Amino acid sequence: MNASADKIERRPALYVHVPFCIKKCDYCAFYSLPAGNQNRSLVKIYLEGLAAEMHRRQKDAPSGVSSLFIGGGTPTALTEAGLEELLKGIHNYFRFEAGIPEKTVEGNPGTLTPEKLSLLHAYGINRFSLGVQSFDDGLLRRVGRIHSADDARRGIQALRNSGFRNLNLDLMFGLPGQDLAAWRKTVEEALAWQPEHLSLYGLMLEEGTPLYRAENDITLGRLPDDDLQADMYEWAVVRLEQAGYKRYETSNFARPGYECRHNLAYWHGEEYLGLGPGAVSFQGRARIKNIEDLRKYREMANTGAQAVAEREELSKQDLMFERVMLGLRLAEGLELKAFTRDFGVKVEDIYARVLEKYEKQGILKREKGYLKLNPDYCFIANSILHEFSPLTKGKGRGNVMA
Amino acid sequence: MAQASKRIRNFSIIAHIDHGKSTLADRLIEYTGALSAREMEAQVLDSMDLERERGITIKLQAVRLSYRAQDGEVYELNLIDTPGHVDFTYEVSRSLAACEGALLVVDAAQGIEAQTLANVYLALENNLEIVPVINKIDLPSAEPERVKQEIEDVIGLDASEAILASAKTGIGVAEILEAIVTKMPPPSGDDSSPLKALIFDSHFDAYKGAISYVRVMEGRVAKGTQIKMMSTNKVFEVTEVGVFAPAMRIVDELKAGQVGFIAASIKNVKDTQVGDTITDAERPALFPLPGYRKATPMVFCGLYPVDSGDYDRLRDALEKLHLNDASLVFEPETSAALGFGYRCGFLGLLHMEIIQERLEREYDLNLITTAPSVIYQVQKTDGEMLKVDNPANLPPAAEIESIAEPVVKATIMTPSEFVGAIMELNQEKRGSYVNMEYLSVNRVSLIYELPLSEIVYDYFDQLKSRTKGYASLDYELAGYKEADLVKLDILVGGDIVDALSFIVHKDKAYVRGRKMAEKLREIIPRQMFEVPIQAVIGSRVIARETIRAMRKDVLAKCYGGDISRKRKLLEKQKEGKKRMKQVGNVEIPQDAFMAVLELEE
Repeated sequence: MNASADKIERRPALYVHVPFCIKKCDYCAFYSLPAGNQNRSLVKIYLEGLAAEMHRRQKDAPSGVSSLFIGGGTPTALTEAGLEELLKGIHNYFRFEAGIPEKTVEGNPGTLTPEKLSLLHAYGINRFSLGVQSFDDGLLRRVGRIHSADDARRGIQALRNSGFRNLNLDLMFGLPGQDLAAWRKTVEEALAWQPEHLSLYGLMLEEGTPLYRAENDITLGRLPDDDLQADMYEWAVVRLEQAGYKRYETSNFARPGYECRHNLAYWHGEEYLGLGPGAVSFQGRARIKNIEDLRKYREMANTGAQAVAEREELSKQDLMFERVMLGLRLAEGLELKAFTRDFGVKVEDIYARVLEKYEKQGILKREKGYLKLNPDYCFIANSILHEFSPLTKGKGRGNVMA
Repeated sequence: MAQASKRIRNFSIIAHIDHGKSTLADRLIEYTGALSAREMEAQVLDSMDLERERGITIKLQAVRLSYRAQDGEVYELNLIDTPGHVDFTYEVSRSLAACEGALLVVDAAQGIEAQTLANVYLALENNLEIVPVINKIDLPSAEPERVKQEIEDVIGLDASEAILASAKTGIGVAEILEAIVTKMPPPSGDDSSPLKALIFDSHFDAYKGAISYVRVMEGRVAKGTQIKMMSTNKVFEVTEVGVFAPAMRIVDELKAGQVGFIAASIKNVKDTQVGDTITDAERPALFPLPGYRKATPMVFCGLYPVDSGDYDRLRDALEKLHLNDASLVFEPETSAALGFGYRCGFLGLLHMEIIQERLEREYDLNLITTAPSVIYQVQKTDGEMLKVDNPANLPPAAEIESIAEPVVKATIMTPSEFVGAIMELNQEKRGSYVNMEYLSVNRVSLIYELPLSEIVYDYFDQLKSRTKGYASLDYELAGYKEADLVKLDILVGGDIVDALSFIVHKDKAYVRGRKMAEKLREIIPRQMFEVPIQAVIGSRVIARETIRAMRKDVLAKCYGGDISRKRKLLEKQKEGKKRMKQVGNVEIPQDAFMAVLELEE
């Protein structure tokens, strides 16, 4: 993996957020609104606002963009016409780098029509990420998914039939009432469909979501404890490697050559443009989050202002910490040369104490120009990662400006 | 005697916690107009934040009130506040010694409590005129007649003229003020005699130095007087004298009978010890006032900064607190597990908690407090006698001939229905029965001799929970007694953590060792590896527990939209870890070091 070659021209990755779902899932904390006929006008507002934002922000990618990820929400919850307007707009305003740039669209089973899929192909979308989550109908209902396992099966079939050769399936573990056997069944079925890529997520109870509020609702079934979740994860890692999928990031597995380039851009600390309400961008040293309210988003976009909800200028310490945090989640590890190039200091020099501590225990190691986390510690990585945080001892809150 | 002192009354208020002392003081201040209601922050006398939160008085304060009595004269009333906790008995005795009278405030529903009784006895020892006030008579559960009877039976005071009051609503306040003037005697000192001023409190002012709060018993003091502290013979020149009105107000002089403050550029509160006598260096008194004693700490614990870089800040903070609190003692000590810290001595557990909280709040220190210990007297086989205030310093068993521990005489007052429960508790706490007395038909006073270490251990909480909060406790040190004591060490991850060692009676060692290991297993979070916990006596393991290795501690996803959030989550995790102490490879949370106090039996 060498991201530094692209860096010379500084092409950011492009993320477009589509804030619509048929219905929001019970665990989801992302910004999304119900799509459907009654919401046509909202979609219109969204597309208008987005067009204005794209118009204004195309200048942020003068040499074009390196990859595209249309996520949500559920991008495929848009109507065919809506989807076409979206894709057309993106390709109008942004140039893509030469070759075959990765273009991903995310979608859920139950929203895929042959017409929408051929539309995606027409715009060069070459990767599809399908939110399967589970092949167990009981579990799907419990977490508020609107589709059944059969919908997922039909969706995969449809995607394959329409010609998608790079397919990711999202699966979740740690669902209420889920046991190891149920998880294995889901993973086995996912493998049987032979996707190129798999993402395995542990359920996180996010504040404000229905599932968070239902945490103590025993009718949902008990939430698997840390040990069971670890068992689920560790079993899956072994099983997937057997089946030819390499864990290239804590939650992501791919057949060789199918690692998600868009996501790797995040993890390598590269710039990205996030468009749409609630989307997050990372430019220079700033991480900027767009406003989530759809009407305000359009209003501001129309006036030519960026509809910013939060803007955070990261200190050098923050940036270095993020780079380590993200790098150590990658199997390849943190590229030491890139770190030195981007920050002007060596990892060894600023984190000497932490490195010494964990290298001695065999938890971290430096190898062929990379700093890597021993894979056995992958599922308890936070215990190690937090030690790289710039919060220093005593009074200083560590936000030393670089 | 100067005419003026006939119109002075010095008094304090004796009351149990919650019986309404602060509220009553507020009413008196309000009524006499020392402060307008608007100026008054609720409960002026309890001015420390901590005191407000806990609803108790820790530091003494004083206030001067001007009251026009029914005889038409204006009287100067000095209210000297007393702390309401057993840890501060000596301070109470000194402020009572500064008064001629006391209001005895008893809750109309709850009756007399042990602490109140102890303070009444102190007041009687100091020959104070006691005016009973039955407070909270507006409560539906008020039983003023029963309480009057109790005052007569228990204390032997005539309660027929007890004032019925409600500090909350203001009922009885006028009668109380009038009774202060008519029933309490004026001070008797002679202002032409050599100066004798009793220090009943002090505080440190960054500009003026240590300020003594005094009651002038004899003579006069003014700016320029050369004063001498009679316990140390140190001499200072007075820069200011004044009164509490209730804010400090400079006056020309203080003379016999009056209450006020003296500033004399004193750099250290150690030189203004409570109970000491101030005299005139050029015309000294022959004898000091009686009753002075150096404050003696009873309870000790180690205080360690979580971050060893804070050691100097901890020392500075302790020194600053010591400026205002001479009873706090500390000296450096080293722990193999915790590094450099201080062994600190306190008057009691509450005092310890207060100091610890102030260090954390006011000085922003992050501390580890080890379990409190008492001072053991260890007779070694080679004839040497050791005083051990830190269990880690106990010599090996083979070198010990015998160990003696401090014991206290504890007075517990309780409704009679709880006598059985209290006896059972005292049995568990290795107490020996001394006496039992019926104060009234259904109120009992129990006297036991108890090891101080058992009081320090969760005695008070147990007493409260087993008596639904009705029993009250007072105790005083009653000497040393030999006991069959052993040191229990705790190994975490195979290494002794010296700060977790404690001294325990042999009969209880096994149970406490087991509970301690269990408790630590609960408190210490799972680490990256398995951590064994063992409780040992000498080389014998008496309990073992295992903290299993952590399995999951990971961010679920990390995409562009939430990198900042994830970074902050990790920062927060690190922040949380700051409250842990790394001992060897194991991170131990602060409360683990106090775990020994929470072993229910």
